[in-house]
Amino acid sequence: MVVITCLANVAAQVGVGRIMSGSKFHFPVGQPELPAPEELRWRVALIEKALASLEARLEEPKIF
Amino acid sequence: MIKVLHYLNQFFAGIGGEEKAGQEVLFLSQPVGIGSVLENAFKAHGVAYATIACGDNYFHEAEENALRAIGAAIDQFRPDIFLAGPAFNAGRYGIACAKVCSWVRDNWRIPAITAMHEDNPGTREIGRHVFVLQTGASAASMQDVLRRYSLLVERLIAQDQKAIEDFRAEYCLAIPRRFTIRTDKPDYVRAADLLLARLSGQSYESEIPRIETQAHTVPNLTVSLAEATVALVTEGGLVPKGNPDRLESSRGSRYFKYSVHGRSDLKHGEFEAMHTGYDTSTVDRDPDRLVPLDAMRVLESGQRIKKVHDQYFVTTGTGAMPSKMAELGAGIAAEIAGAGIDAVILTAT
Repeated sequence: MVVITCLANVAAQVGVGRIMSGSKFHFPVGQPELPAPEELRWRVALIEKALASLEARLEEPKIF
Repeated sequence: MIKVLHYLNQFFAGIGGEEKAGQEVLFLSQPVGIGSVLENAFKAHGVAYATIACGDNYFHEAEENALRAIGAAIDQFRPDIFLAGPAFNAGRYGIACAKVCSWVRDNWRIPAITAMHEDNPGTREIGRHVFVLQTGASAASMQDVLRRYSLLVERLIAQDQKAIEDFRAEYCLAIPRRFTIRTDKPDYVRAADLLLARLSGQSYESEIPRIETQAHTVPNLTVSLAEATVALVTEGGLVPKGNPDRLESSRGSRYFKYSVHGRSDLKHGEFEAMHTGYDTSTVDRDPDRLVPLDAMRVLESGQRIKKVHDQYFVTTGTGAMPSKMAELGAGIAAEIAGAGIDAVILTAT
Protein backbone atom coordinates (compact mmCIF):
# COMPACT_ATOMS: atom_id res chain seq x y z
CA MET A 1 0.00 0.00 0.00
CA VAL A 2 1.06 3.55 -0.67
CA VAL A 3 -0.66 6.52 0.98
CA ILE A 4 -0.85 9.73 -1.03
CA THR A 5 -1.31 12.66 1.33
CA CYS A 6 -0.14 16.17 2.06
CA LEU A 7 0.24 15.33 5.73
CA ALA A 8 3.17 12.95 5.37
CA ASN A 9 4.23 13.53 8.97
CA VAL A 10 0.81 12.37 10.24
CA ALA A 11 0.95 9.27 8.04
CA ALA A 12 4.46 8.54 9.34
CA GLN A 13 3.33 8.99 12.95
CA VAL A 14 0.57 6.42 12.59
CA GLY A 15 2.97 3.91 11.10
CA VAL A 16 2.32 3.99 7.34
CA GLY A 17 5.13 2.28 5.42
CA ARG A 18 4.97 3.94 1.99
CA ILE A 19 4.05 7.60 1.86
CA MET A 20 3.93 9.93 -1.10
CA SER A 21 3.24 13.64 -1.05
CA GLY A 22 0.05 14.67 -2.80
CA SER A 23 -0.89 17.91 -4.47
CA LYS A 24 -3.06 19.72 -1.89
CA PHE A 25 -4.68 18.35 1.19
CA HIS A 26 -8.18 19.02 -0.19
CA PHE A 27 -7.39 17.37 -3.54
CA PRO A 28 -4.40 15.06 -3.07
CA VAL A 29 -4.36 13.85 -6.68
CA GLY A 30 -5.68 16.94 -8.46
CA GLN A 31 -4.20 19.94 -10.28
CA PRO A 32 -7.33 22.00 -11.01
CA GLU A 33 -5.53 24.97 -12.59
CA LEU A 34 -4.49 22.78 -15.53
CA PRO A 35 -6.76 22.15 -18.55
CA ALA A 36 -8.44 18.73 -18.19
CA PRO A 37 -6.21 16.75 -20.61
CA GLU A 38 -3.08 18.12 -18.97
CA GLU A 39 -4.43 17.46 -15.51
CA LEU A 40 -5.00 13.83 -16.51
CA ARG A 41 -1.43 13.57 -17.84
CA TRP A 42 -0.16 15.06 -14.60
CA ARG A 43 -2.25 12.60 -12.57
CA VAL A 44 -1.07 9.60 -14.61
CA ALA A 45 2.54 10.66 -13.92
CA LEU A 46 1.75 11.00 -10.19
CA ILE A 47 0.11 7.58 -10.04
CA GLU A 48 3.02 6.12 -12.04
CA LYS A 49 5.28 7.45 -9.28
CA ALA A 50 2.98 5.81 -6.70
CA LEU A 51 3.22 2.51 -8.59
CA ALA A 52 7.02 2.80 -8.66
CA SER A 53 6.95 3.28 -4.87
CA LEU A 54 4.94 0.05 -4.61
CA GLU A 55 7.65 -1.74 -6.60
CA ALA A 56 10.43 -0.53 -4.28
CA ARG A 57 11.52 -3.25 -1.83
CA LEU A 58 11.36 -1.68 1.60
CA GLU A 59 12.52 -2.82 5.02
CA GLU A 60 11.55 0.39 6.76
CA PRO A 61 9.00 3.16 6.22
CA LYS A 62 9.87 5.65 3.52
CA ILE A 63 8.49 8.94 2.26
CA PHE A 64 8.73 9.11 -1.53
CA MET B 1 -18.53 2.62 57.47
CA ILE B 2 -18.87 3.66 53.83
CA LYS B 3 -22.04 4.45 51.99
CA VAL B 4 -22.42 3.28 48.41
CA LEU B 5 -25.24 4.34 46.10
CA HIS B 6 -25.64 2.32 42.92
CA TYR B 7 -27.60 3.41 39.80
CA LEU B 8 -29.14 0.56 37.81
CA ASN B 9 -31.57 0.47 34.92
CA GLN B 10 -34.88 -1.35 35.17
CA PHE B 11 -33.40 -4.55 33.76
CA PHE B 12 -30.45 -4.87 36.15
CA ALA B 13 -32.66 -3.78 39.04
CA GLY B 14 -34.88 -6.78 38.32
CA ILE B 15 -37.97 -4.70 37.59
CA GLY B 16 -38.44 -5.86 34.04
CA GLY B 17 -37.31 -5.62 30.44
CA GLU B 18 -38.20 -3.24 27.66
CA GLU B 19 -41.84 -3.11 28.79
CA LYS B 20 -40.67 -1.48 32.05
CA ALA B 21 -38.27 1.00 30.42
CA GLY B 22 -40.61 3.83 31.43
CA GLN B 23 -39.98 3.14 35.14
CA GLU B 24 -39.59 6.35 37.17
CA VAL B 25 -36.70 6.83 39.59
CA LEU B 26 -36.98 4.45 42.55
CA PHE B 27 -34.83 4.71 45.67
CA LEU B 28 -34.25 1.36 47.40
CA SER B 29 -32.45 1.24 50.73
CA GLN B 30 -30.77 -2.07 49.95
CA PRO B 31 -28.54 -3.55 47.25
CA VAL B 32 -30.26 -5.18 44.28
CA GLY B 33 -28.91 -7.82 41.87
CA ILE B 34 -25.20 -7.25 41.19
CA GLY B 35 -25.26 -4.71 44.02
CA SER B 36 -25.50 -7.63 46.47
CA VAL B 37 -22.25 -9.05 45.07
CA LEU B 38 -20.50 -5.71 45.55
CA GLU B 39 -21.96 -5.16 49.00
CA ASN B 40 -20.51 -8.52 49.97
CA ALA B 41 -17.11 -7.48 48.62
CA PHE B 42 -17.08 -4.34 50.81
CA LYS B 43 -18.38 -6.02 53.96
CA ALA B 44 -15.04 -5.83 55.75
CA HIS B 45 -15.32 -2.04 55.80
CA GLY B 46 -18.86 -1.93 57.05
CA VAL B 47 -21.05 -0.71 54.24
CA ALA B 48 -24.45 0.88 53.78
CA TYR B 49 -25.59 0.07 50.26
CA ALA B 50 -28.57 1.62 48.51
CA THR B 51 -29.87 1.47 44.97
CA ILE B 52 -31.44 3.87 42.50
CA ALA B 53 -33.42 2.16 39.77
CA CYS B 54 -34.54 4.06 36.68
CA GLY B 55 -36.03 2.97 33.37
CA ASP B 56 -33.82 3.58 30.32
CA ASN B 57 -36.60 5.38 28.47
CA TYR B 58 -37.70 7.38 31.48
CA PHE B 59 -34.21 8.81 31.96
CA HIS B 60 -34.05 10.04 28.38
CA GLU B 61 -37.61 11.28 28.17
CA ALA B 62 -37.61 13.06 31.53
CA GLU B 63 -33.93 13.66 32.22
CA GLU B 64 -34.50 16.75 34.35
CA ASN B 65 -37.06 15.01 36.57
CA ALA B 66 -34.88 11.91 36.80
CA LEU B 67 -31.85 13.93 37.92
CA ARG B 68 -33.96 15.85 40.44
CA ALA B 69 -35.18 12.59 41.98
CA ILE B 70 -31.65 11.17 42.01
CA GLY B 71 -30.40 14.37 43.64
CA ALA B 72 -33.05 14.07 46.36
CA ALA B 73 -31.95 10.47 47.01
CA ILE B 74 -28.33 11.59 47.29
CA ASP B 75 -29.19 14.39 49.72
CA GLN B 76 -31.12 11.91 51.82
CA PHE B 77 -28.66 8.99 51.72
CA ARG B 78 -25.39 11.01 51.54
CA PRO B 79 -23.25 8.38 49.76
CA ASP B 80 -19.43 8.40 49.88
CA ILE B 81 -19.15 6.66 46.53
CA PHE B 82 -21.51 6.59 43.55
CA LEU B 83 -21.66 3.64 41.16
CA ALA B 84 -23.57 3.19 37.90
CA GLY B 85 -23.82 0.30 35.49
CA PRO B 86 -22.06 -1.64 34.07
CA ALA B 87 -23.75 -0.71 30.79
CA PHE B 88 -21.59 -2.84 28.45
CA ASN B 89 -22.66 -1.82 24.93
CA ALA B 90 -26.25 -0.76 25.84
CA GLY B 91 -26.55 2.75 24.41
CA ARG B 92 -29.44 4.28 26.41
CA TYR B 93 -28.14 2.77 29.65
CA GLY B 94 -24.58 3.86 28.89
CA ILE B 95 -25.59 7.44 28.20
CA ALA B 96 -27.66 7.52 31.40
CA CYS B 97 -24.77 6.10 33.46
CA ALA B 98 -22.36 8.64 31.97
CA LYS B 99 -24.66 11.61 32.52
CA VAL B 100 -25.65 10.63 36.05
CA CYS B 101 -22.04 9.96 37.11
CA SER B 102 -20.80 13.24 35.62
CA TRP B 103 -23.61 15.17 37.26
CA VAL B 104 -23.09 13.53 40.66
CA ARG B 105 -19.32 14.03 40.52
CA ASP B 106 -19.72 17.70 39.60
CA ASN B 107 -22.35 18.51 42.20
CA TRP B 108 -21.42 16.37 45.21
CA ARG B 109 -17.68 15.90 44.60
CA ILE B 110 -17.77 12.23 45.45
CA PRO B 111 -16.03 9.55 43.38
CA ALA B 112 -18.27 8.27 40.59
CA ILE B 113 -17.58 5.00 38.81
CA THR B 114 -19.32 3.53 35.80
CA ALA B 115 -18.38 0.86 33.29
CA MET B 116 -19.06 0.34 29.61
CA HIS B 117 -17.66 -0.85 26.31
CA GLU B 118 -15.47 1.62 24.42
CA ASP B 119 -18.01 1.88 21.58
CA ASN B 120 -20.89 2.74 23.89
CA PRO B 121 -22.21 6.21 22.91
CA GLY B 122 -22.19 6.96 26.64
CA THR B 123 -18.42 7.50 26.38
CA ARG B 124 -19.18 10.83 24.67
CA GLU B 125 -21.08 12.05 27.74
CA ILE B 126 -18.38 11.34 30.30
CA GLY B 127 -17.34 14.31 32.39
CA ARG B 128 -14.01 15.02 33.97
CA HIS B 129 -12.89 12.81 36.88
CA VAL B 130 -15.49 10.08 36.33
CA PHE B 131 -13.96 6.59 36.33
CA VAL B 132 -15.12 4.51 33.37
CA LEU B 133 -14.15 0.86 33.66
CA GLN B 134 -13.58 -0.86 30.36
CA THR B 135 -15.92 -3.79 29.72
CA GLY B 136 -16.60 -6.26 26.98
CA ALA B 137 -19.56 -5.69 24.66
CA SER B 138 -21.87 -7.99 26.62
CA ALA B 139 -22.62 -9.10 30.17
CA ALA B 140 -20.35 -12.12 29.63
CA SER B 141 -17.57 -9.99 31.16
CA MET B 142 -19.66 -9.28 34.30
CA GLN B 143 -17.47 -11.17 36.78
CA ASP B 144 -14.32 -9.28 35.75
CA VAL B 145 -16.14 -5.96 35.80
CA LEU B 146 -17.51 -6.50 39.30
CA ARG B 147 -14.02 -7.39 40.52
CA ARG B 148 -12.75 -4.12 39.07
CA TYR B 149 -15.46 -2.03 40.68
CA SER B 150 -14.53 -3.54 44.05
CA LEU B 151 -10.79 -3.17 43.42
CA LEU B 152 -11.21 0.51 42.61
CA VAL B 153 -13.50 1.12 45.58
CA GLU B 154 -10.87 -0.51 47.85
CA ARG B 155 -8.27 1.90 46.53
CA LEU B 156 -10.60 4.87 46.91
CA ILE B 157 -11.29 3.90 50.52
CA ALA B 158 -7.54 3.58 51.13
CA GLN B 159 -7.09 7.01 49.47
CA ASP B 160 -3.95 5.73 47.80
CA GLN B 161 -3.59 8.25 44.96
CA LYS B 162 -0.85 6.39 43.16
CA ALA B 163 -2.77 3.10 43.28
CA ILE B 164 -5.87 4.92 42.01
CA GLU B 165 -4.00 6.47 39.08
CA ASP B 166 -2.31 3.16 38.26
CA PHE B 167 -5.73 1.55 38.26
CA ARG B 168 -7.12 4.27 36.02
CA ALA B 169 -4.31 3.77 33.52
CA GLU B 170 -4.78 0.02 33.45
CA TYR B 171 -8.51 -0.58 33.61
CA CYS B 172 -10.32 2.65 32.73
CA LEU B 173 -11.19 3.92 29.28
CA ALA B 174 -9.04 6.83 28.22
CA ILE B 175 -11.70 9.29 27.17
CA PRO B 176 -10.07 11.80 24.85
CA ARG B 177 -12.18 14.85 25.44
CA ARG B 178 -11.46 18.50 25.87
CA PHE B 179 -12.05 20.01 29.26
CA THR B 180 -11.75 23.55 30.54
CA ILE B 181 -9.25 23.79 33.35
CA ARG B 182 -7.88 26.88 35.08
CA THR B 183 -4.13 27.26 35.34
CA ASP B 184 -1.77 29.72 37.04
CA LYS B 185 0.08 30.54 33.82
CA PRO B 186 -1.33 31.26 30.36
CA ASP B 187 -0.64 28.81 27.55
CA TYR B 188 2.11 30.85 25.88
CA VAL B 189 4.10 30.89 29.14
CA ARG B 190 3.64 27.16 29.61
CA ALA B 191 4.63 26.50 26.01
CA ALA B 192 7.77 28.66 26.39
CA ASP B 193 8.59 26.89 29.67
CA LEU B 194 8.34 23.52 27.92
CA LEU B 195 10.59 24.70 25.12
CA LEU B 196 13.17 26.14 27.53
CA ALA B 197 13.13 22.92 29.55
CA ARG B 198 13.74 20.93 26.41
CA LEU B 199 16.51 23.22 25.16
CA SER B 200 18.29 23.14 28.50
CA GLY B 201 18.04 19.36 28.72
CA GLN B 202 15.67 19.33 31.70
CA SER B 203 12.85 16.86 31.97
CA TYR B 204 9.44 18.05 30.80
CA GLU B 205 6.05 16.59 30.16
CA SER B 206 3.79 17.68 27.32
CA GLU B 207 0.20 18.56 28.19
CA ILE B 208 -0.94 16.71 25.08
CA PRO B 209 -0.70 12.94 25.39
CA ARG B 210 1.03 11.22 22.52
CA ILE B 211 -0.89 8.67 20.53
CA GLU B 212 1.19 5.54 20.72
CA THR B 213 1.34 3.63 17.49
CA GLN B 214 2.71 0.22 16.76
CA ALA B 215 5.52 -0.30 14.33
CA HIS B 216 4.31 -2.27 11.32
CA THR B 217 6.35 -4.25 8.89
CA VAL B 218 6.20 -2.70 5.42
CA PRO B 219 4.64 -5.18 3.00
CA ASN B 220 6.28 -5.57 -0.41
CA LEU B 221 4.61 -6.68 -3.65
CA THR B 222 4.39 -10.43 -4.10
CA VAL B 223 3.67 -10.25 -7.86
CA SER B 224 4.84 -7.90 -10.57
CA LEU B 225 2.56 -4.92 -11.16
CA ALA B 226 1.75 -6.21 -14.63
CA GLU B 227 0.07 -9.13 -12.85
CA ALA B 228 -1.41 -7.08 -10.02
CA THR B 229 -4.95 -6.05 -9.17
CA VAL B 230 -4.79 -2.64 -7.51
CA ALA B 231 -7.55 -1.21 -5.31
CA LEU B 232 -8.29 2.42 -4.54
CA VAL B 233 -9.09 3.43 -0.97
CA THR B 234 -9.77 6.86 0.49
CA GLU B 235 -10.71 8.47 3.77
CA GLY B 236 -11.92 11.51 1.84
CA GLY B 237 -15.61 10.63 2.00
CA LEU B 238 -16.34 10.16 -1.72
CA VAL B 239 -19.79 8.61 -2.21
CA PRO B 240 -22.32 8.33 -5.04
CA LYS B 241 -24.32 11.56 -5.42
CA GLY B 242 -27.00 11.75 -2.73
CA ASN B 243 -24.96 9.66 -0.25
CA PRO B 244 -27.29 6.63 -0.40
CA ASP B 245 -25.72 4.86 2.60
CA ARG B 246 -25.59 7.98 4.79
CA LEU B 247 -21.82 7.98 5.33
CA GLU B 248 -21.12 10.45 8.15
CA SER B 249 -19.37 13.65 7.07
CA SER B 250 -17.18 13.47 10.17
CA ARG B 251 -16.38 10.83 12.76
CA GLY B 252 -16.99 8.08 10.22
CA SER B 253 -18.18 4.92 11.94
CA ARG B 254 -18.43 2.73 8.85
CA TYR B 255 -16.79 2.20 5.50
CA PHE B 256 -18.39 1.49 2.18
CA LYS B 257 -17.33 0.18 -1.21
CA TYR B 258 -18.69 1.50 -4.46
CA SER B 259 -18.44 0.03 -7.92
CA VAL B 260 -16.22 1.55 -10.58
CA HIS B 261 -16.91 -1.35 -12.94
CA GLY B 262 -17.34 -0.10 -16.51
CA ARG B 263 -16.39 3.48 -15.59
CA SER B 264 -13.45 5.22 -17.21
CA ASP B 265 -13.49 7.99 -14.61
CA LEU B 266 -15.56 9.42 -11.77
CA LYS B 267 -17.76 12.15 -13.15
CA HIS B 268 -18.89 15.43 -11.66
CA GLY B 269 -22.50 15.09 -10.53
CA GLU B 270 -22.32 11.31 -10.12
CA PHE B 271 -20.06 11.29 -7.04
CA GLU B 272 -19.59 13.80 -4.24
CA ALA B 273 -17.47 14.08 -1.11
CA MET B 274 -19.00 13.91 2.38
CA HIS B 275 -16.32 15.36 4.60
CA THR B 276 -16.34 18.33 6.96
CA GLY B 277 -12.53 18.24 7.27
CA TYR B 278 -11.73 19.94 3.97
CA ASP B 279 -13.23 22.12 1.24
CA THR B 280 -14.77 19.46 -0.99
CA SER B 281 -15.69 21.74 -3.90
CA THR B 282 -12.60 20.95 -6.01
CA VAL B 283 -13.14 17.22 -5.60
CA ASP B 284 -16.85 17.56 -6.33
CA ARG B 285 -16.01 19.24 -9.66
CA ASP B 286 -13.84 16.24 -10.59
CA PRO B 287 -13.87 13.29 -8.15
CA ASP B 288 -10.79 11.80 -9.86
CA ARG B 289 -8.85 14.42 -7.90
CA LEU B 290 -9.52 12.29 -4.81
CA VAL B 291 -10.02 8.78 -6.20
CA PRO B 292 -7.80 8.72 -9.33
CA LEU B 293 -9.77 6.25 -11.40
CA ASP B 294 -9.09 8.02 -14.73
CA ALA B 295 -5.31 7.76 -14.30
CA MET B 296 -5.61 4.15 -13.12
CA ARG B 297 -7.58 3.28 -16.28
CA VAL B 298 -4.83 4.80 -18.45
CA LEU B 299 -2.22 2.69 -16.66
CA GLU B 300 -4.47 -0.37 -16.85
CA SER B 301 -4.99 -0.06 -20.57
CA GLY B 302 -1.23 0.45 -20.97
CA GLN B 303 -0.81 -2.86 -19.09
CA ARG B 304 1.30 -1.22 -16.40
CA ILE B 305 -1.06 -2.98 -13.98
CA LYS B 306 -3.31 -5.91 -14.68
CA LYS B 307 -6.52 -4.52 -13.28
CA VAL B 308 -8.14 -1.82 -11.19
CA HIS B 309 -10.29 -3.51 -8.54
CA ASP B 310 -13.98 -3.16 -9.37
CA GLN B 311 -14.82 -1.26 -6.18
CA TYR B 312 -13.18 1.53 -4.27
CA PHE B 313 -13.33 1.65 -0.45
CA VAL B 314 -14.24 4.80 1.43
CA THR B 315 -14.74 6.22 4.91
CA THR B 316 -14.53 9.67 6.48
CA GLY B 317 -11.35 10.26 8.43
CA THR B 318 -12.02 13.63 10.02
CA GLY B 319 -12.68 14.06 13.73
CA ALA B 320 -12.46 10.33 14.22
CA MET B 321 -11.01 8.29 17.04
CA PRO B 322 -7.79 6.55 16.00
CA SER B 323 -9.13 3.34 17.59
CA LYS B 324 -12.24 3.49 15.39
CA MET B 325 -10.17 4.17 12.29
CA ALA B 326 -7.91 1.22 13.14
CA GLU B 327 -11.01 -0.96 13.37
CA LEU B 328 -12.35 0.27 10.00
CA GLY B 329 -8.89 -0.13 8.48
CA ALA B 330 -8.73 -3.72 9.69
CA GLY B 331 -12.15 -4.37 8.13
CA ILE B 332 -11.10 -2.92 4.78
CA ALA B 333 -7.80 -4.81 4.92
CA ALA B 334 -9.60 -8.10 5.58
CA GLU B 335 -11.87 -7.53 2.57
CA ILE B 336 -8.88 -6.62 0.40
CA ALA B 337 -6.97 -9.71 1.49
CA GLY B 338 -10.01 -11.85 0.67
CA ALA B 339 -10.63 -10.29 -2.74
CA GLY B 340 -7.36 -11.21 -4.45
CA ILE B 341 -6.09 -7.62 -4.41
CA ASP B 342 -2.31 -7.26 -4.64
CA ALA B 343 -1.77 -3.58 -3.90
CA VAL B 344 -3.56 -0.48 -2.65
CA ILE B 345 -3.32 3.21 -3.40
CA LEU B 346 -4.89 5.14 -0.52
CA THR B 347 -5.55 8.84 -0.85
CA ALA B 348 -5.87 10.87 2.33
CA THR B 349 -7.02 14.45 2.75
